[in-house]
Amino acid sequence: MTKRMRFAVGVAVAAALLLTGVPAVFAHHSFAAEFDASKPFKLTGLVTKVEWQNPHTYFYIDVTDTATGKVTNWAMEMGSPNGLMRQGWTRNTLKIGDIVAVEGSVARTGQPLGNARTVTLTSTGQRLFAASSQAP
Amino acid sequence: MRVYLRSVLAALAVMLCVSPLAIRGQQPASTPPEPTPRLADGTPNLGRVPGEKGVWNVPYIQNMADRASGRGAGPAGRGGGGGNEGGRGGSRSEPHIPFQPWAAAVYDYNSVNNSKYDPEGYCLPPGGPRMMATPYPMEIVQLPEQKRILMIFEGATHIWREIYMDARAHPQGDALNPTYLGHSVGRWDGDTLVVDVVGFNEGTWIDYYGHPHTDQLHVVERISRPDKRTLRYEATIDDPGAYTRPWTVSWTVPWTPTGELTEYICQENNRYLWNLTDDHGQPIFGPQR
Repeated sequence: MTKRMRFAVGVAVAAALLLTGVPAVFAHHSFAAEFDASKPFKLTGLVTKVEWQNPHTYFYIDVTDTATGKVTNWAMEMGSPNGLMRQGWTRNTLKIGDIVAVEGSVARTGQPLGNARTVTLTSTGQRLFAASSQAP
Repeated sequence: MRVYLRSVLAALAVMLCVSPLAIRGQQPASTPPEPTPRLADGTPNLGRVPGEKGVWNVPYIQNMADRASGRGAGPAGRGGGGGNEGGRGGSRSEPHIPFQPWAAAVYDYNSVNNSKYDPEGYCLPPGGPRMMATPYPMEIVQLPEQKRILMIFEGATHIWREIYMDARAHPQGDALNPTYLGHSVGRWDGDTLVVDVVGFNEGTWIDYYGHPHTDQLHVVERISRPDKRTLRYEATIDDPGAYTRPWTVSWTVPWTPTGELTEYICQENNRYLWNLTDDHGQPIFGPQR
């Protein structure tokens, strides 16, 4: 995606966020007890499963280690379906087989589990905020 | 990041030209706030105007100590502010909160473990002022002919509370059954709804940061709508079981004119519980490791 396209998408997302006027943060459990904000990640992978459920939507991606070829299935936590819908998501925004780039924070336990802050759909370049429970 | 910041600025610029009133809470200085809507008898209407949508956009207040009177003009203590990234200072950073020693110790424990055992993380409801600090939309429905007011909360656990407006007294003795939300009796003091709440169980925390309370908790809330888009909320927390004197918190809740409530059933797929471990690293609900 070109810088100009990224800029256009960013304007659209920012305008949508400002217009909806709902909090970008939806709380459920303690973010800090489960995730380490000092350990951000950016991972790209293939969507294998989506759980569009409360209190948190989860999706799962297969991430391939480019050095070893090893595939790890990561669980990614987002906000609740209602929080995500207020930010422009639907239950069909993410589909099995989509390739996505995810930015967020990793679990303290060391499991392949992350709290997603943004999700970028590689096919369209659309970047979505994940209604993370992390404070802004 | 620079691209994102420029995007936000550009979006703001576009919106300022196209729709100045669309920006939440940022009305131009020349436009006076819309007046408080009122019912036919002149009572303030704390809910929707017929024919319009709208919800109260409850803020996320993690630490009530940051909203307590007596905090002083300085920056928030390490016990509060600063989001949920750690660096919490516990009771020592909150000299304006009148902790009893055991309450300070419990609060310090919750600070050290980052509120890991927060009941809301278990999908249990908030009680008391925390209902107005858990960031999901909320509606107030007044039923004056039935002498009661309902508050409907989308979030936490999709709960409602009922405020009796028929001048009844609280049940006494064992007739008062301890509950998560307590027993609420309301009256109008001018344009302010005053709600007296007792009968709380001990299953909730005062806030996300983990200020504790006992079943002696007595909350007095003062709720008003100074203009159409603003709800003012104040609560006095009086718990002689946990604090040496009452303390008062307050904040405002903005109105989202286009908002509506949606469903939120927290218990559906609460994976946080599956991963929750105790202080010895053992799962609390899942199989032993």
